[in-house]
Amino acid sequence: VGYLLLGIVAGLAAVERKGFLQAMLSRPIALAPLTGWALGDLAGGLAVAAPLELLWLGAVNLGAALPVHEALATVAITGGAVLAGQALGTGVSPATAVVALLVGAPLALLGRRADRLVEVANERLAIFAEEALRRHHPHAAVRLNLAGLAMPFAIAAVLAPAGAWVGSQAATRLLQAVPSLDGPLRVGWWAFCGLACAAGAKALRSRRAGVIFGVGAATALLIGLGLRVAP
Amino acid sequence: VTIPFRTRAHVFWRCLFLQAAWNRRGMQNLGFAYAIEPALDALYPEPAQREEALARHLGFFNCHPYMAAAIVGGAIHHEERVAAGEEPGAAPLSYKATLQGPLAAVGDGFFWTALRPFFGAMAALGALVAGWPAVVAAVVLYNLVQFSLRAALFRAGYRQGDAVVGLIARLSLPRVADRLRAAGVALCGAAAAAVALRAGGGVVGIEEGAVLVVAAAAGAGYLALTKGAPLFPAAYLVAVLGTLVAAVTGWDGTP
Repeated sequence: VGYLLLGIVAGLAAVERKGFLQAMLSRPIALAPLTGWALGDLAGGLAVAAPLELLWLGAVNLGAALPVHEALATVAITGGAVLAGQALGTGVSPATAVVALLVGAPLALLGRRADRLVEVANERLAIFAEEALRRHHPHAAVRLNLAGLAMPFAIAAVLAPAGAWVGSQAATRLLQAVPSLDGPLRVGWWAFCGLACAAGAKALRSRRAGVIFGVGAATALLIGLGLRVAP
Repeated sequence: VTIPFRTRAHVFWRCLFLQAAWNRRGMQNLGFAYAIEPALDALYPEPAQREEALARHLGFFNCHPYMAAAIVGGAIHHEERVAAGEEPGAAPLSYKATLQGPLAAVGDGFFWTALRPFFGAMAALGALVAGWPAVVAAVVLYNLVQFSLRAALFRAGYRQGDAVVGLIARLSLPRVADRLRAAGVALCGAAAAAVALRAGGGVVGIEEGAVLVVAAAAGAGYLALTKGAPLFPAAYLVAVLGTLVAAVTGWDGTP
């Protein structure tokens, strides 16, 4: 049932991402908690949401350029981390998250390749629509537009659960075989989170971004430490 | 002939499917024809005229999906005049061809590279500091802004036709985008600090090593990315390197 839910969530996210709505629901920050919630672990999904959002803050569809498929990878990574956490009885930990990330992230690149195939298939839909109009079926012609939603749904619905399964198996087996890796993997996760913040700052392409990024970090760190010291 | 409000609302709803069959040949052509179909049905009761109108909207079209609302609204504006015999059939096409490029550039620059990343960074920081309610608030706020603008652009395009350009210029979207980008970068910096504090032990204690790992990864990562380092290899390198260093030194990263 979990993998079926993952497939549905991934499929709907793939549709929302480009074909319909584009209301930020397929962005990692919303999609990871939704995926976690679908699997019964909202907090686990939320734990991976922020770094994934910042890592792929620059994944946008500019003109005809195809970005990486961040939604597909997000469902696979979150699903892998949540399922591994459930299998180990620890919930989503930095260790399960980083293994699921390392296994699931390439799906973002694979998804981009799949998007190219979708565009080719959609080209045929457009040709069919022109033919239908020539045969005086205008309603049938324009309704072919909706058929373009099927392929992105199907691809994500198959690939995301598969990626989550591989990620959860890898994390579960690795941490069961070498429990002492939990600590080092935790450090790896935090290091990745630091890089993800940098990737977000870089993606915004602002002038003097380096200075603003540093000042923002230092200010927030001081405020955070101040709040910690305060009674 | 004027299109009833209900039909315009139907067209606006269909605008949300503009990119459903995006393709490299006609790009959003099928989506545009799908969106405007209810208006053409209302304007051209004669099937031959309706098919002719639909055929002209099956031609190449590509714009930012939010900004395209202004062009769909404007195309209806022109189609009303074509149906009334006040303009030639080429007028809606000319309108689309003139505006699609400039509005795509404005939309990409404002919505895709400024507004959405800004709210993404805000939601990410919120998730780290306040949990899921902050994420919900950021997503709702983003959608209030983008849907309001989309609806306003559609209405302005329909009512004003070519004059919608002046309205968009008055919004000064590129200037607002610059400010949103800078604010977004600051939020990313604050998120790095929030991650460092979490890694360092939240409110219980502080592990300087963990804070340093996050700070080093953020600082060195930023420099490497600005020098052209590819994102994926950098992410793998940082995660694996952090793990290896901790494994070799026997440090488990717990505060």
